Amino acid sequence: MALSGFQQKLQSVAGKISSNRYLKAISDGLMSALPALIIGAFSTLLSGMQFEAYQNFITSTGIKEILELPAQYTTNMIAVYAVFFIAYRFAGSFDKDGAPAGLIALMSFFVLTPTGLLGENDAIALPFQFLGAQGLFVAIIVGLISSRLYVFIVDKGFTIKMPDGVPPTVAKTFTGLVPGILIVVLFTIVSFLFRMTEFVSMHQFVYSFIQTPMQNLGGGFWSLIAMTLVIHTLWLLGIHGMLVILPIYLSIWMPLGVENLDAIAAGQELPNIVNTAFAQVFMLLGGSGATLGLAIIMAFMAKSKRYKTLGRISLPGTIFGINEPLIFGLPIVLNPYLAIPFVVAPLVAVIIPYFLMASGIIGKLAGAHLPLGTPAFFNAILQGGVVILIVQVLMIIVTGLIYYPFFRVIDKQALKEEEAA
Amino acid sequence: MKNILLVCAAGMSTSMLVNKMEKAAGAKEEEIKIAATSGGDIKKYIKDADVLLLGPQVSYLKDDYAKQYGGSDGIPVEVINSIDYGTMNGEKVLDWALDLIK
Repeated sequence: MALSGFQQKLQSVAGKISSNRYLKAISDGLMSALPALIIGAFSTLLSGMQFEAYQNFITSTGIKEILELPAQYTTNMIAVYAVFFIAYRFAGSFDKDGAPAGLIALMSFFVLTPTGLLGENDAIALPFQFLGAQGLFVAIIVGLISSRLYVFIVDKGFTIKMPDGVPPTVAKTFTGLVPGILIVVLFTIVSFLFRMTEFVSMHQFVYSFIQTPMQNLGGGFWSLIAMTLVIHTLWLLGIHGMLVILPIYLSIWMPLGVENLDAIAAGQELPNIVNTAFAQVFMLLGGSGATLGLAIIMAFMAKSKRYKTLGRISLPGTIFGINEPLIFGLPIVLNPYLAIPFVVAPLVAVIIPYFLMASGIIGKLAGAHLPLGTPAFFNAILQGGVVILIVQVLMIIVTGLIYYPFFRVIDKQALKEEEAA
Repeated sequence: MKNILLVCAAGMSTSMLVNKMEKAAGAKEEEIKIAATSGGDIKKYIKDADVLLLGPQVSYLKDDYAKQYGGSDGIPVEVINSIDYGTMNGEKVLDWALDLIK
C-alpha cells in the first residue's frame, strides 16, 4: 500500500513534468529539428570516415567538400531550426498559430546574434559560431520567451483586426504583426544592452555562464549515473522515464554530441564521452534497462513456455530499441525479481565503456543523434566502427549475465506452474 | 465506422499493438479504424477518435487527457492493461476498446 501511494504521487509529478508547456515545447521543438541534425550527422560521418584510401579519394576528387555541405547547413545551424520549432510548438500548445510565433522567435534570435565582416569588401557576414551547438541555449531561451510573449499579446487582443470580407489568410498575416514588432523591438534593446557589456552579445554571455557550466555538469560521469538511475527507477514504477526527462536529456546531451561531430569535421580530437549517442549505443541497448541480452536469453534459453514465447515476440523489437513488451509483459514494472538487474544492467553498460573511453583504450563516439529505432549493432558501427561494435556485443553479454540469475528464478517458477497445470 | 486511437511515448510500441489489433479487426463485420500516435501529435487524430487508449508507460497522462478529451460530452479515455500490452494481445484489447465505445 505504501508503494502504491508513493507510486501515485510520482505518477502525478511525472505527469506534471511531462505536461509542463515549457518543458514540452523544448523537447517537441528539438524533436522537430532532429531530421536536420540526422541529415547533418550522416554528412559528417560520410566525409569523416577514417580510411586513408577513401579520404585520399574524396579529397582529391573534391567530393569531400560536397559531402560536408549538408552538415554546414544542418548541424552547424541547429540553433536556427530549434528556435523556430520551440516557439512554434509552444504557441501550438496554446492553440495559437505556430508559424508567426516561430518567425518572430527566429527574427529575435538573429537580432541577438553578432555579425562580422568578411573579405576585402567588408561584406557583412553572419558567423556560424552561435548558429550551431553553441547557440542552442539561447535558441531555447529566446524560443520560449518570445513565444510566451506572442501568446500573451495575442490573448490581450493587441492585434490588427481586419474588417469582415478580408480573406482569412490575409488577416492571419496581420495577426503576427503587432506582437512581432513589440517582441523584436524588445530583443533589439536586449541585444543593444549586451553590446555595452564585456560580453558583446547575449550569445557569449549565455554560452559562458549557463551553457558551458551546465554541459560540464551534465556531461560528466556522475550525471551519466544520475540520468541512468532516474530513467530506470521511474520505469520500474511504470512511468516512461525517458519521456519525463527528455527535455534535459535533449538540451544537454544533444549539443555535446554535435560538438563531437564538429570536431570530426574539423579533424580535431573528440571532446565528449557522454552524449545522446552514448546513451543510444550503451544505456538503451535493447531499450531502457539494456534488455537486449535478456531478450536473447529468454528467446533461446528459457525453459518455461510463457517466457520463451514472450522472448521470441519481443526480440526483434528489442534490437530496434523498443522493449515495452518486455517491460509490461514479463513484467519488469513493479517486479521485485527484476528490479535489481533492470537498474544495474544499464549502469554497468554505461560505466564500462565510459572508463574505456576516459582511459583512452577505445575512442569516443562520433556523437550522431540517430533516429529512434536505429538498430543495435548498426548504431555502434556508425558511431565508432568495429571497436565500438565489439564493446557493444560485450555489453550485451555482460548485461545478459547480470539478468540471467534473476531471470532463472522467475523462469523456474513459471515452469513449475506450467507443469502443475 | 469506429475509430480507435492509441497513444504512447513515440507511437512506436503502440503501433506494434495496432498491427495485432488490425488483424483481429479484419475478422469483424463492422469497419474499424485503429491509429497510433505520440502524445505530441494527438491533436491531429483526436477529432475522429471514438475512444482514446493510453499505453501503460504513459498512464500518468490519463488525468490530463481525460480532462481535455473525456468528460460527459467527450470520449472514453482509458489505460491499456499492462499485461495485454506487453504480450501484444491485440484481440483482447480490441474487444475491450469496442466495449468502451458502446
